[in-house]
Amino acid sequence: MKDLTDLTTQCIRCGFCLESCPTFVVTGKETESPRGRIYLSRSAEEGKIAWEEARPHLNACLGCRACETACPSGVHYGEILELARDRLEKRHGSFAKKALLAGMTKPGRLRMQLGLAKLLPGKRIPGVLSRLLSGQAPEADRPVAPSAYSFPPLDEAPLPPIKGEVYVLEGCVMRVLYGRVNEITKRLLRQVGFAVRVVDQGCCGALHAHNGYLDAARSMGQGLSAQFSDDLPIVVNSAGCGSTMKEYENLGVALRGRVFDAAEFLAANGLGEVLSTRGKLEATVTYHDACHLSHGQGIRREPRELLAAIPGVTMVELNEAEMCCGSAGIYNLTQPKMARTLLERKWGNVEQTGASIVATGNPGCHAWISQAAREHGQTVEVLHTLEVLERALSGSS
Amino acid sequence: MPIPEDAMVSQLSAILSPDQVLSGPSVQRAYDCDAYTVDRSKPTAVVMPDSTEQVAAVVRWCVANEVPFTGRGAGTGLSGGALPALGGVVISTKRLTQILEIDLENRCLKAQAGIANKRISDSVKTEGLHFAPDPSSQTVSTLGGNIAENAGGPHTLKYGVTAQHILGVTLVDPTGEILELGGKVSGGPGFDFVSLVVGSEGTLGIVTEAWVKLTPLPTAVKTALAAFSTVRDATESVAVIIASGTIPAALEVMDKGILHALEAAFGLKYPVGTAALLLVECDSNDADSAHEIVEREMETVEAICRANRAMEISVAADEAERQRLWTARKKGVGAMGRIAPSIVTHDGVIPRSKLPDMLDFVYDVAARHGGGVANLFHAGDGNLHPCFYFDDRDPVQVKAVVEAGEEIIRRCLELGGSITGEHGIGVEKIDLMPLMFSEDDLRLQAMAKSIFNSGELCNPCKVLPNQKSCVEHKKRWRGVAW
Ligand SMILES: Cc1cc2nc3c(=O)[nH]c(=O)nc-3n(C[C@H](O)[C@H](O)[C@H](O)COP(=O)(O)OP(=O)(O)OC[C@H]3O[C@@H](n4cnc5c(N)ncnc54)[C@H](O)[C@@H]3O)c2cc1C
Ligand code: SF4
Ligand code: SF4
Repeated sequence: MKDLTDLTTQCIRCGFCLESCPTFVVTGKETESPRGRIYLSRSAEEGKIAWEEARPHLNACLGCRACETACPSGVHYGEILELARDRLEKRHGSFAKKALLAGMTKPGRLRMQLGLAKLLPGKRIPGVLSRLLSGQAPEADRPVAPSAYSFPPLDEAPLPPIKGEVYVLEGCVMRVLYGRVNEITKRLLRQVGFAVRVVDQGCCGALHAHNGYLDAARSMGQGLSAQFSDDLPIVVNSAGCGSTMKEYENLGVALRGRVFDAAEFLAANGLGEVLSTRGKLEATVTYHDACHLSHGQGIRREPRELLAAIPGVTMVELNEAEMCCGSAGIYNLTQPKMARTLLERKWGNVEQTGASIVATGNPGCHAWISQAAREHGQTVEVLHTLEVLERALSGSS
Repeated sequence: MPIPEDAMVSQLSAILSPDQVLSGPSVQRAYDCDAYTVDRSKPTAVVMPDSTEQVAAVVRWCVANEVPFTGRGAGTGLSGGALPALGGVVISTKRLTQILEIDLENRCLKAQAGIANKRISDSVKTEGLHFAPDPSSQTVSTLGGNIAENAGGPHTLKYGVTAQHILGVTLVDPTGEILELGGKVSGGPGFDFVSLVVGSEGTLGIVTEAWVKLTPLPTAVKTALAAFSTVRDATESVAVIIASGTIPAALEVMDKGILHALEAAFGLKYPVGTAALLLVECDSNDADSAHEIVEREMETVEAICRANRAMEISVAADEAERQRLWTARKKGVGAMGRIAPSIVTHDGVIPRSKLPDMLDFVYDVAARHGGGVANLFHAGDGNLHPCFYFDDRDPVQVKAVVEAGEEIIRRCLELGGSITGEHGIGVEKIDLMPLMFSEDDLRLQAMAKSIFNSGELCNPCKVLPNQKSCVEHKKRWRGVAW
């Protein structure tokens, strides 16, 4: 693992990252900017300020990594943040955060909570939990339990022969809230000649890594890589998971070169052509860049190209498409106010496009922007990118 | 008796609101320097006013309590201008970021001081206009900071520095009074106080709003990158181009010290054996023959470069490629972190004809002080930016870099130049002022400053040397580095 001082000294304080950082743009505070957070982390690491002083500013960071995209010096902000949060958690951890993560990353438990949640009054997450996590009133709704889904069997006639196998990461949140997206991933892979090998799989550890539980993340990563034991490609439809898995080597886990975002993999294997010949969807579509896809994995082009390939689809660019929506893992639970400000900003931009669908590639963004949609009268439909593609091919709703 | 931190915070919170007043160790650390990291000094508190009236109220409180105050925009300054040299209050403009009025007919716009420069241009792009001053830091540096430093940029060569584009300012003077200087219409009667405020490095008060000129975007533009195997060939080309009577919109040199980082950061391509790249842009918005003019100018430029042994000249094929070249140039200094932990970007001016000798001198200084240097600079203006890179954890290196800078500046003066082109004096070069100005000159400047200032509270210890209490305090912040 790299040294926090070395990582932070790569920042020469030019300030180019400031205007791309959502928390700086909203607050105007140096302490809520990438440059400030890097400086504070370095200062704490070198004993110039106490780690506790840096804590609120590191907690307020979305981990969206827009600053990495902006930084000409190639500062590895994501790594800095994870290491700094690891320091903080080791000093004085947050019990509530740990419990929440445990709940979210064990599909069984998440499912049970969802069940219980339906029995509780009100739709917000319980105020007690929110105050434990953030000291503020909650903003995030309890996740809406998924509606049942079923797809028509694939029309075998135009399908290419199977040319290989892949794994699909089922994900914790994805599996429970958006099981349909996993199903769709398999269908789309089949469209380009891939079969999915099914294995028992655990959590990838992304939420743990992002929140400073590096040891836990490491052991989850090791577990997962043992489950994906041979060298088949691993297709991931959740940007946050994909981004962590592509960087597993920072945790000493070897999967590098095998992990692909679903849009990335499908585009590279000719789904664009399939869509342009057999797809159809009359819709105006805009695309929100999930931070862990654009900033985390550098994937911006592929999802847009796949969507644009659908006959009948008109693409419109979203203003501030690459600015975080505020969901950011569990951020909307730990920092509800900032998350809400960013959500409203995002929704304003979405509505301004006049699109009928906004597509995105991450379950966190999906759920959070869906909440805005519900609150604002469902004027725009929120879908995973893959759901739009599937709808164009099978007409499923 | 200086007022204690808690009292300061609670009293300022009563004037503003509590969430507009920041303090504590993290805040004091984060605001202890700008992009010039050699000198550092902590404020006691930072305020984030959201109106001119709030700024005025804070300044009046500071005056009543004898607390020093320093304005701050994005903190991209390169001479320690936003460093609170005597502590006190930092007044941030980052909650004053609105565009207030756009007057297309008269091609001008009024904005608040904390807006990032580029957002002004973006807001009128579809109208074919822009705010011409384009410091390389323009995506983040603020209008107020640009005004304070009279910022230049690559296109200054043709379009002039910030001063030429500011029509009027709203200034909270150092007593807390709100002044409207100049206005939408330029050239009114009376003294031109606007010009005095532009470039005063925040020592004459806090600018909260400004009327700026909007300039038509060129209708034709061509950008070329010429590669040379020696820096001398590149700088000689610059001198000849200007002497030929052709004034390109921009003439920028990048030397081998930075090329590797630019390649890593932006994928900039250049031939093997390149020692310097010359970025040339020609533009025009002539109603009838913009394209012909640009074509002709570029031919002249290319011929001169070739005569000066250019190894390769490539013209950007389209707007996307042109933007890529400019991103590499403008964000170039920002890529230096790939080479070393810290940088100091020096800033001096010399007559263009002296560029080749001066560059040799810069390399020699770097070699003698054992430091690394990269140059990327506004060659067309003779505005040099030797960027020294070092490790700020080593006090010996910090000292060497400061000394190297002073040697370079002295040489600029010997060659008939200036101690700063656009980054300002700040705290960095305050001791060098007497090299350029006589005692009388300095006294005159101090008198001009006293028109606005009765005391010494407004951005103290900047620009003019030997200010009260600064000499002794300087020991605290000079070269604190890490
Ligand atoms: C990578 C990089 C490239 C750069 N390129 C250029 C370049 O090409 N050309 C150039 O000229 N400069 C350049 N600079 C220097 C710097 O960006 C400019 O000096 C810029 O104008 C500073 O703006 P700022 O908002 O960051 O001001 P700050 O650094 O925050 O402040 C600078 C000075 O202005 C004062 N000030 C700020 N706001 C106000 C206000 N509202 N009222 C009164 N005083 C105020 C401060 O007190 C301080 O003295 C560059 C800097 C970097 C880091
Ligand atoms: S990760 Fe996002 S919120 Fe955090 S500092 Fe970077 S840009 Fe800002
Ligand atoms: S852009 Fe990079 S080097 Fe510049 S201040 Fe931000 S993190 Fe530091």
